Amino acid sequence: MSTTIFQAKNIVTMDPNNPQATHVAVQDGRILGVGDYQQTSSWGEHRLDKSFAGKTLLPGFVEGHAHLLAGGMWKFLYVGYQDRIDPDGRLWKGVLTLENVLERMREVDAEMPAETPLIAWGFDPIFLMDRRPDRNDFDSVSKTRPIVVMHSNFHLMTVNSPTLELAQYSASSNVDGIVKGDAGEPNGELQEMAAMFPIMRRLGIDFRELGRTRDAVEAFGRVCNRVGVTTATDLINDLDDEAVENLRDITGTDEYPIRLVPMLNALSQTPPETAKRAVAIKAKSTEKLHLGGVKLLTDGSIQAFTARLKWPGYYNGAPNGIWNIAPEQLKTLVDTLNQSGVAMHIHVNGDEAVEAALDAVEYAMVNHPTPDHRITLQHCQMADKAQYRRMKRLGVCANLFSNHIYYFGDQHAAITIGPDRASRMDGCRSALDNGVPLAVHSDAPVTPMGPLTCAWAACNRLTASGEVLGAEECISVEEALHAVTLGPAYTLKLDGEVGSIEVGKWADFAVLEDDPFAVEPSKLKDIEVWGTVLGGVIHKIDD
Amino acid sequence: MTDIQPSLPLTIISGYLGSGKTTLVNHLLRNANGRRLMVLVNDFGDLPIDADLIQSRDGDMINLANGCACCSMGGDLFNALVDVLDQKPWPDHLLIEASGVADPARIANIALAEPDLKLDATIALVDAETFENHADDPLIGETLTQQLAVSDLILINKSDLVEAKAMENVSFKLGTIAPNATRIETQYASLPLDLAVGLELASSEKKAEHSDDGDHSAAYAKWSISYDRPLDREAFEVALERLDGRVLRLKGIVRFKGNDTPQVIQLVGRRHSIAAFDGAENVQNGLIAIGFKGSLDRSLLDEIFSNV
Ligand SMILES: [Zn+2]
Repeated sequence: MSTTIFQAKNIVTMDPNNPQATHVAVQDGRILGVGDYQQTSSWGEHRLDKSFAGKTLLPGFVEGHAHLLAGGMWKFLYVGYQDRIDPDGRLWKGVLTLENVLERMREVDAEMPAETPLIAWGFDPIFLMDRRPDRNDFDSVSKTRPIVVMHSNFHLMTVNSPTLELAQYSASSNVDGIVKGDAGEPNGELQEMAAMFPIMRRLGIDFRELGRTRDAVEAFGRVCNRVGVTTATDLINDLDDEAVENLRDITGTDEYPIRLVPMLNALSQTPPETAKRAVAIKAKSTEKLHLGGVKLLTDGSIQAFTARLKWPGYYNGAPNGIWNIAPEQLKTLVDTLNQSGVAMHIHVNGDEAVEAALDAVEYAMVNHPTPDHRITLQHCQMADKAQYRRMKRLGVCANLFSNHIYYFGDQHAAITIGPDRASRMDGCRSALDNGVPLAVHSDAPVTPMGPLTCAWAACNRLTASGEVLGAEECISVEEALHAVTLGPAYTLKLDGEVGSIEVGKWADFAVLEDDPFAVEPSKLKDIEVWGTVLGGVIHKIDD
Repeated sequence: MTDIQPSLPLTIISGYLGSGKTTLVNHLLRNANGRRLMVLVNDFGDLPIDADLIQSRDGDMINLANGCACCSMGGDLFNALVDVLDQKPWPDHLLIEASGVADPARIANIALAEPDLKLDATIALVDAETFENHADDPLIGETLTQQLAVSDLILINKSDLVEAKAMENVSFKLGTIAPNATRIETQYASLPLDLAVGLELASSEKKAEHSDDGDHSAAYAKWSISYDRPLDREAFEVALERLDGRVLRLKGIVRFKGNDTPQVIQLVGRRHSIAAFDGAENVQNGLIAIGFKGSLDRSLLDEIFSNV
């Protein structure tokens, strides 16, 4: 029952009763008292820890939508346009030209044993101002070793000639997605899963497996730790018995720096089976592994033109997107899960998918009213104001993809949905004004994990080209910080345990070098993270 | 030349909820007739495989006593396909029961890309009673018409439940949505195995059977021809065009003048392919076809195919 008092430069508690403090007392992993030294020391015997005397403490950030793959991807070589930091703290500078990409690959090629495939990820040819690369470019790295360069959206890859040979692709291959060059030969670019499948199968690239290994789960913990996250979701997981045991084992150690919230894939079995499984694994939860929630996938993504849009559809005239589940089936599924009290996270990108999800929720709630269900729409990028009003009435939460505004906002305005609808995308202001509980997320590894960046995007709404996209939807720093702490904690029904620095909650803190309220909103994302505290245990970022 | 292993034929079964996909799968598994079928389904939820058929069940896989198997994809088609292809021996034929909103063209594209698979056919089912309502539904109408537009065969199921006039409307509408598909009316999705997964080629030892045997003798008829000479490719392709929907499926092995490699001919509905024969066994040269009893004109087929 030893007590530690952490002294900080200041503590932003996110608790309106006690918004600022300098000391927080911790006992048995939980917060015993918050205030100044006198207030916190009156509990009696304690140890005063001054590690954070020059730092700002915030509640540990909560990432409400990420994937364990954000740890697993680093098994491969990063060749993206944006800077990224790997789980071990190495800064991978963005590659700005094709020559940069090839140089980086040649360095790695020189070190690798022969025959081993060289697999890279994060590639974004639209940002490279020179021409679109083809197999000849990667043949210049190696003519013998298979080379696969996954694009950042995971829907395309560019490969070298030995890789094309593996799949027996040739001029006579007549398959959608095998892109041909001027001479009619495959030029190395492969689009969508069907064309990529033979390559992935032969080289053993398996994204599901990549998110399951011990290495991946541990790396994910380090990814979170580097950006101040102490509670994170894995938003789709098969969660078979073996996976559950593994996760209990890995998260169970004192060294593991986060509380993990994996969501069961609701589409991989029948609705009653999903309900039964979710209830069964919920009982296996621990303090650091929270099970029982499920993820439902409705449509695809806006940038891949697979999201389901209401009239007038895509700005460039692309046909409407795809359903992963028929709206009629979604009703049954939501109804069945709701009757078993299962927490639901529903992936919706386009506004038609939002509508279908709300129809399903309404149907389920009329059939079996459930107070405090906290069904959360994930991404929910195109919701309009009427839909936010409806979400409020139905008690539905929104976890918005604010990073999209920065990473894809320009493309959304110019190509996918046009400037008017793009300005309402990820409408944090609309959500809050209509009383919808709000969180924002990174969907790592789709965009890099970083709650301060998500908050920055929600406050400033700047696109990569520097334009402000829909200024009316900007929110304040305080609201944005809420959307990366208590907001997502609420969507996970963990707001009684984490998300603010209040007596009785877990002692989970983000340790920052600056106070987010003391910097310009435009500098929010540049605040350095020192590390975290989880249940009173310090996790300084490894250098 | 590397040692090419024959690829695994894939038939895709698509159709909206309630159209009878599961009934068709069950019917085929029951009437597999010695062929080892492997069916990938989304889940075992509605699949009423009778207990007496099941030999063993191991997680995602149900093995049947007749050599067939049924595997639950668990929402991930690609992983399921890797598992099927990595497991030897392969089944004789792979079927995928697509979800009610899946685009079969995307699945077909996998079979075109993957050297170990070959696309056999895409079959779509529609429920004669509900089809028109679903096709006009703003949320799913487009998805359904897309499913139909890329199909080789369309089964108009539950045809006994609608009036003749309504049936005509359904048929007309399908004709405009999917002009290249062949339409077949069924009840309880009872499509003969030969139509679902293709005809079996007779090996040299076993003579092709000409009888209209089986449980569908009333509706369908077969025809066959054998060759002991190489054919003229151009004339042969003209002959295939002349079929113009008169047969539902045609399969065969022939040799063309100036090419020693035997060629496999596959025709489903109005789509056909000609490819180098990759099978190891010694198969007699010839063609075999199945069609509706009323429209399969044996003497006409003899005439078309004996002069090539
Ligand atoms: Zn996601």
